[in-house]
Amino acid sequence: MAAQTPALPCKEQEENLVLFHYGDLPGAERSDMQAHLQSCAACAAYLRDLTALMPLTIETDQPPQGFWTDYNREFRHKLDGLAERKNWRQRLADLWQPRWLPTFATAAVVALALTFTLGKGMWSKNDPTQEDAAIMELLPVAENLDFFKSMEVLDDLDLLESMGGQGNAA
Amino acid sequence: MNPGDEELVASAQQGNRRAFEELVERHQRKAYHIAFGFARDREDAKDLSQEAFLKAFSYLRNFDGRSSFYTWFYRILVNLCLDYKRRQNRNPAETFDENAQNQVEPSQAPNKPRAPDQEVLAKQISLRVGEVLASLPARQRTAFVLKNHQGLSIKEIAELMETAEGTVKVHLHRAVAALREKLADFA
Repeated sequence: MAAQTPALPCKEQEENLVLFHYGDLPGAERSDMQAHLQSCAACAAYLRDLTALMPLTIETDQPPQGFWTDYNREFRHKLDGLAERKNWRQRLADLWQPRWLPTFATAAVVALALTFTLGKGMWSKNDPTQEDAAIMELLPVAENLDFFKSMEVLDDLDLLESMGGQGNAA
Repeated sequence: MNPGDEELVASAQQGNRRAFEELVERHQRKAYHIAFGFARDREDAKDLSQEAFLKAFSYLRNFDGRSSFYTWFYRILVNLCLDYKRRQNRNPAETFDENAQNQVEPSQAPNKPRAPDQEVLAKQISLRVGEVLASLPARQRTAFVLKNHQGLSIKEIAELMETAEGTVKVHLHRAVAALREKLADFA
C-alpha cells in the first residue's frame, strides 16, 4: 500500500491553526476554528502534527545549582570591571563639564599673556648686546683705516720733498 | 514586601548596585533559557545572557520607563541573540565543532530513562531541529523561539521585536510551517 501524503490544511486556516495550537486565537475565532476542525480532516491532521512536533523542537537545559553559583560569581566579576571602567570614563567626562570650561579658558588666556609679555622683554634685552658686539668688531678696522690714511699723507710729503730737491738741482 | 522591578530600576539608576544585582537574580534564569533557545549551547547561553545584563547596566540611565524593564531588557537580549546567530551563520564550520563540544543533551523526565533506540531518535530529532532552526530567517526564528520555547504572548513578542502583532503572526506561521515540513518524518 502506497504511503499517503498528508493532506494540506485549508490555506486560509493555516495561520489560525498555528494560533489555535498556541492558544492565541481570540474567543469568537476560537469557536469558529473548533467548529471547522469537526468537519475538516486535513486541518485536524495538521493540528495533530503541530501538537506532536512542536514540543520536540524545545531543547531545554536545567543546569545544576553549582552552575548558578558560578554564573553569579562570574557576573559580579564582570560587573566590577564594567563599573570600574565607567568610573574612569565618568571622571574624565566630568572635566569637560560646562562649569570647568571658564576656568580652563581663563588659565589659557593668562598663560598666553605671560608668554607674550615676558617673552617681549627678554628679546629687547638682547639687541644692545648684539649692537655693541658689532661696534666692537668695527673699531679696530676704523683705527687701521686712520693709520693707513696717515701713511698715505707721509708718502705724499716724501714725494714732495724729492720733487723739491730735483728742482733745486736743476 | 519585595520591591517591584520599577523600584529596583529607580534605585539602580541612583547608583545602588545591589538593586541592579537583585534585578539580575530575578531575571537570570529566564534570560538564560531564552539565550539557550537561540544558542543551544550552555556556555554561549551563559555568555549571551551575562552580556545582556552588562549592556543593561551600561544603558540603565537611558531607560525612561516607557516600557517595562522586562520588555526593555529582553529586547537587548534578543538583539544580542540575533547578532550571535548572524556571526554563527558567517562561520558555520567553526561553530559546528564548538557546539559539538558544548552540546547539552535534550532534557528528559528524571525518572524516565530512554531506551537506546529512543536515545538515537532523540539525537536525530535534535540535529534536524538545529539545522531547520538555523536555516530560518532571523525574525522567523526569533518569533518562533519566543512563542514556542518561552510561551510569550503575541503582544509581548511584538513589543520585544518592535513590530506589529500581525507581522509576528506571519513570522510564526512561516516558521511553524517550515518546521512541520522538515520534521514530518518524526510525527
